[in-house]
Amino acid sequence: MVKKTNNIGAVAVVGGGIAGVQSALDLADMGFKVYLLEKSPTIGGVMAQLDKTFPTNDCSMCILSPKLVDCSRHPNIELLTMTEISKIEGKPGNFTVKATQKPRYIDIEKCTSCGDCASVCPIKLPNEFEFGLSIRKAAYKPFPQAIPNAYVIDKEGDGKHRGCVECGKCVKECKAGAINHDEKPKNIKLSVGAIIIATGSTPFDPIIKPEFGYKKYPNVLTSIEFERVLSASGPFEGKIIRPSDKKPPKKIAWIHCVGSRDKQVGNEYCSAMCCMYTAKEAVIAKEHDSNIEPTVFYIDIRSFGKDFDKYIDRAKEEHGLHYVRSRISEIVEDPKTKDLIIRYEDDKDQLKEDRFNLVVLSVGLCITQARRNEIAEKLGFNVNDFGFVETNPRDPIVIKPGIFVAGSFVEPQAIPESVMQASAAAANAAALLKDARGTLVKEKKYPAERDVTQEKPRIGVFICHCGINIGGILNIDEIVKYTKNLDDVVYADANLYTCSEDTQKKIAEVIKKHNLNRLVVAACTPRTHEPLFKNSLREAGLNPHLFEMANIREQCSWVHSDKPGLATDKAKKLIEMTVAKTRLLQPICESQIPVTQKALVIGGGIAGMTSALSLANQGYEIALVEKEPFLGGYLKKISFTVDGIDVKKTLEETVEKVEKNPLIKVFTSSVLNSLNGYVGSYEAEIKTAKGIEKFNHGVTLVAIGAEEYTPNSYYYGKDLRVSTQSELEKKLSDLLPGQIHDGEVFVMIQCVESRDEKRPYCSRICCMQALKNALKIKEINPYAEVFILYRDLMTYGFLEKYYKQAREKGVMFLQYDADNKPVVHNNHSLIVKVFDPMLSQNLELPADHIILSTGLNPGNSTEHISKMLKVPVNSDGFFLEAHVKLRPVDFSTRGVFFAGNCHMPKFINESIYQAQAAAARAATILAQPSLSAEPNTAFVDEDLCSGCRLCISICPYKAIESVDEVKNGKKITHAKVNEALCMGCGTCVSACPSGAMQQKGFKDKQILAMIASVGGSE
Amino acid sequence: MVKQKILEVKNSDVTGTVNDFLKNLLKSGKISALLVSQSVPSRKVVFPVLISDPDKLDAKVFAPLLPASTSKIVSKITKFQPSDKPLGVVLHPCQIRALIELVKLNQANLNNIIIIGVDCLGTFSLNTYADFPEKKNPIDFILDDFKSNSDKSEQFLRSACVVCNQPVPINADIIIGLFGMDINKEILIEAVSDSGIKILEDLKLDTFKDVKKREKYIEDLIGNRTKKLAAFIKDKTGNIDIESLTSFFDKCVNCHNCMNVCPICYCRECLFDSSVFDAEANKYVKKSESKGLFKLPNDSLLFHLGRMNHMILSCVKCGLCEQGCPMNIALMDVFIPAAENAQKEFKYQPGKNRDEKVPMVVYREDEYVEVGEK
Repeated sequence: MVKKTNNIGAVAVVGGGIAGVQSALDLADMGFKVYLLEKSPTIGGVMAQLDKTFPTNDCSMCILSPKLVDCSRHPNIELLTMTEISKIEGKPGNFTVKATQKPRYIDIEKCTSCGDCASVCPIKLPNEFEFGLSIRKAAYKPFPQAIPNAYVIDKEGDGKHRGCVECGKCVKECKAGAINHDEKPKNIKLSVGAIIIATGSTPFDPIIKPEFGYKKYPNVLTSIEFERVLSASGPFEGKIIRPSDKKPPKKIAWIHCVGSRDKQVGNEYCSAMCCMYTAKEAVIAKEHDSNIEPTVFYIDIRSFGKDFDKYIDRAKEEHGLHYVRSRISEIVEDPKTKDLIIRYEDDKDQLKEDRFNLVVLSVGLCITQARRNEIAEKLGFNVNDFGFVETNPRDPIVIKPGIFVAGSFVEPQAIPESVMQASAAAANAAALLKDARGTLVKEKKYPAERDVTQEKPRIGVFICHCGINIGGILNIDEIVKYTKNLDDVVYADANLYTCSEDTQKKIAEVIKKHNLNRLVVAACTPRTHEPLFKNSLREAGLNPHLFEMANIREQCSWVHSDKPGLATDKAKKLIEMTVAKTRLLQPICESQIPVTQKALVIGGGIAGMTSALSLANQGYEIALVEKEPFLGGYLKKISFTVDGIDVKKTLEETVEKVEKNPLIKVFTSSVLNSLNGYVGSYEAEIKTAKGIEKFNHGVTLVAIGAEEYTPNSYYYGKDLRVSTQSELEKKLSDLLPGQIHDGEVFVMIQCVESRDEKRPYCSRICCMQALKNALKIKEINPYAEVFILYRDLMTYGFLEKYYKQAREKGVMFLQYDADNKPVVHNNHSLIVKVFDPMLSQNLELPADHIILSTGLNPGNSTEHISKMLKVPVNSDGFFLEAHVKLRPVDFSTRGVFFAGNCHMPKFINESIYQAQAAAARAATILAQPSLSAEPNTAFVDEDLCSGCRLCISICPYKAIESVDEVKNGKKITHAKVNEALCMGCGTCVSACPSGAMQQKGFKDKQILAMIASVGGSE
Repeated sequence: MVKQKILEVKNSDVTGTVNDFLKNLLKSGKISALLVSQSVPSRKVVFPVLISDPDKLDAKVFAPLLPASTSKIVSKITKFQPSDKPLGVVLHPCQIRALIELVKLNQANLNNIIIIGVDCLGTFSLNTYADFPEKKNPIDFILDDFKSNSDKSEQFLRSACVVCNQPVPINADIIIGLFGMDINKEILIEAVSDSGIKILEDLKLDTFKDVKKREKYIEDLIGNRTKKLAAFIKDKTGNIDIESLTSFFDKCVNCHNCMNVCPICYCRECLFDSSVFDAEANKYVKKSESKGLFKLPNDSLLFHLGRMNHMILSCVKCGLCEQGCPMNIALMDVFIPAAENAQKEFKYQPGKNRDEKVPMVVYREDEYVEVGEK
């Protein structure tokens, strides 16, 4: 069916960092054509340069790389690397994007990434991926996992060092004939319906702060450089050594807020992620080398994110991080030892001096003038006071109609926020172009599959030289000869590059000619090339799962290059094992899960309503369930915001949009009674005032919010002069000028019954609540006195400006320590006693009002919903995402998503983009009439299953259930795998002691045959 | 409610006294049937029987014999359908621990099950018991030995029992106690759980007073056994390599009896009994060709290590595998050190706590960190 629309079903995503990659993948999955434009030769962005990620200490590249590979494989994504956007013309739904693509001088299609060009290239340049801590050739690949997986020739150099001199050695060496030194820049014109800008920001360059001696003293590094020092694939292979003498440093100092919260350099905002990555770098450094003594100089520890406080606590308690609250003004080098001397005031106001072997500057992010010119000014975007692109808090990711933004181009932030915004941007683009969805994507047609189940195995083996990568070490002729003699092998031959385009044609021909029914490729890792070969099988009319790879590159020629004879023997054995398994392979039918293209949204607060609207705008039918009689949730309690959003109006407008939308069915005063089924086909029973309503749907979104915590301390509830921040807010919103007297004293206490043992998390929003109310008081009467007693002021990102405003307006900030909390005396008059570490003395503040910042607690239906949907919560009771960095709105159970305060406390704009992100993720499922199930699912031999339920307990996807069945008059309990939910991880298979649980493509019989083929066991 | 009461022993007949108590339970209907050891017709050994007629009860609660895994019998009885009627099961402490493990693995159901645990004086092997060399019968021998506080019976105990440091039942509903008692006069009956209390509440028995003496006895006993266990582990910990292990299992005839009698091995069909490892003739020849020869039946070490891998964290060190081995392989020499070490690594004690999950399903961030992470 051809849809009639003037909109173009394609989107240009500018920037190939994690945000751009996420937007591209979501849109491509929703059925849009995506052009992913990236300035550098590879996608991956800054995240590719990080060692680990907080707070889980996951390897950054390990979690990023699969997404990059997905991008390169997705049939709907076209990668345009080395490409810079120059102009946008047209209107929403129909833009023309002009861009320039620099020459790569190496044909991506032909390049096999063998690296022969780099090995002969005589030109050496500082490696910018390693920040010059190592060198690279002019012919190079930025990093091993680079996507596109191809080399590039640098002709420009870096200003100081010249690039390629066109000596021609690489041309001679490249057996694939991929190099073309005459390539010219290309002008590109793209027709797209929407544009997403995700070009990121730049780590601050501390060269403009000479007092820190960066680039002057060799042992002063930036934090991003230190990430490379930590990385096992970095310049020092993960050994912690300092640049000056390559010796392991013992004392390392980190200095917070370099280039952030700094008026002098013009960056008066907080970069939001540095506090946490500093702790992470120190922890990881300590894990690499337990002798290291880390010291962190800080102003505030802004651990405002989920599980961040726990991470900081662990860093202090378990890893011995020494935190010193002090702003550092200067670093001096001891020229003899190259050690660095830092003078600082400690918390007892004593002037101290300390010597460090290495200093790391925790730099923030900024938009450099060059970058601003490059993007924002060239494309005519408004910029805010901080030089970042301007958006509206009610529409946080919209730059202008049809042009959306995601990631640190809009504000410095950590990975999860970038990923959420990226998905949110995708949702916005998808809503705009809903009529054009699916118009520009091509579906590939394959010939019918031949039934081979009754045939005797006829195996073909393709053995790859991989240029000189394999062929230069192993004796390929000998391997071919050996392979030909293996049972059931009817064809074996060698290729220069098995992955090249012409070999794919050859594979199809050989399959036909020799009537092959199974195929083995002995080459590199299946990680990158397996899908390519499987596709070749499909094109030749074979089931793609009748295929195996033997890795004779990474596992033979690369690791045993010094022992070619033995490596050749090992390759023979690896092939023999693979053939033994291949013999037993059976076709796997990828089952299709039908999708009911409707969604259930639980919770009618701002997050739930935004999700519902976003999905309805994309054309999907929604049921929105709210337990209260009215929509609005927590937002109903908010009277005003600091950034001047008219909350009441926003709420009214949103409720009206929801209620008037014909695709949204609203159930107020209703609760979810039961939910059965799984992704694609759920059946919900909604208990309404009128009775039970049934709703069939394909995905479920949870947005059930959180609740303000009611304190039990500081005379709250016993003295009317003590209130919470939201109670004060309500009072303030009704006050008129003059209703607060001159000199009336408001004392606000932050972190009340929060960030302690019982509630060990930061609620993220309370510092701003306090600032908002403080500014309002000052607005009503500038002569009122406001004291804010805080532990760490969590005004991250651009919120820092309100902290500054409050200080300018005379709000007094007093810092206190967790183990020395303020005390309130109530003897008719209220007196707050607090120890001020700056002044080293106890202060007594007579107060007219005491306001407690108490934070949020998980909503009281969280536990109920968690059980009904079988989705997990963290130790604080907030919903637990599938992955804190890269899947911030997905549950690990396929088809269930969440947004808003039920995930963790957050601001309105954050809830809005998270809700849109959840809608985008949900739409990647709803956009398809049916979902392909994972082919390599687990399955149960019911006659062997003892019903012990070990598999059920450990399945990360909740894909296994226990089933009671009556067999021969007896009740038998056994496990059952839901193919729609199984992701084929195999955890259950390894846990099952009896072998009742098996996995398609990895059956015990197949694995044991591999072992037996090389004389395994005793 | 007093939880600890006393059964008065008449004519020094310890067995008879306990039997009267058990008969009473059956008669009163508080339990409908009782699983307990009783002599087989030859009278040479005792085996568990399920008794419902009190007149047929002639139990040998203190017989130093564990002929089969009683926990596995409870699993067999309850797995498909829990009992409708209250069922008493008299179990050795190790079998209660095994039963708790089987409950965690969903292989047994404790609904309507009253566990009666007995202070364990240790058990002899089936053959030693059947052809007992002393003049007295084994029951009298071990009880007299206990009364006279001597250790003559130790020479007959199974190696698992010699080093057992958990001879007092845990997780029972009712305990029949001998330790620290003058069993010529009295035996302890202790109600541990709510259902145990309910059963004992209207029995007119004296309250047990000398708690301190019993506690001291148990403390000394466990301390002594713990030292023996440590010495045993130290003694038996040797080379852990393929050669040493292969020679340890040299005599194995692949009968898989150790697996069949193990209370923890719960698979319906062991992978090693299945056809997964079967191969065609030319595969055998090929395998032989790769090394010149290979031993048959094959895979016996793989079987033992595979079995150990699956059950060792729940191993209650009952020693039934060793007793069941027709070739007298001293399996405890390997399984006790392996169980102790593995369980220590996961901070797990099998059978200790019903609500604690088996280590397999629990993720701890600090377990088995990778090299370089610690």
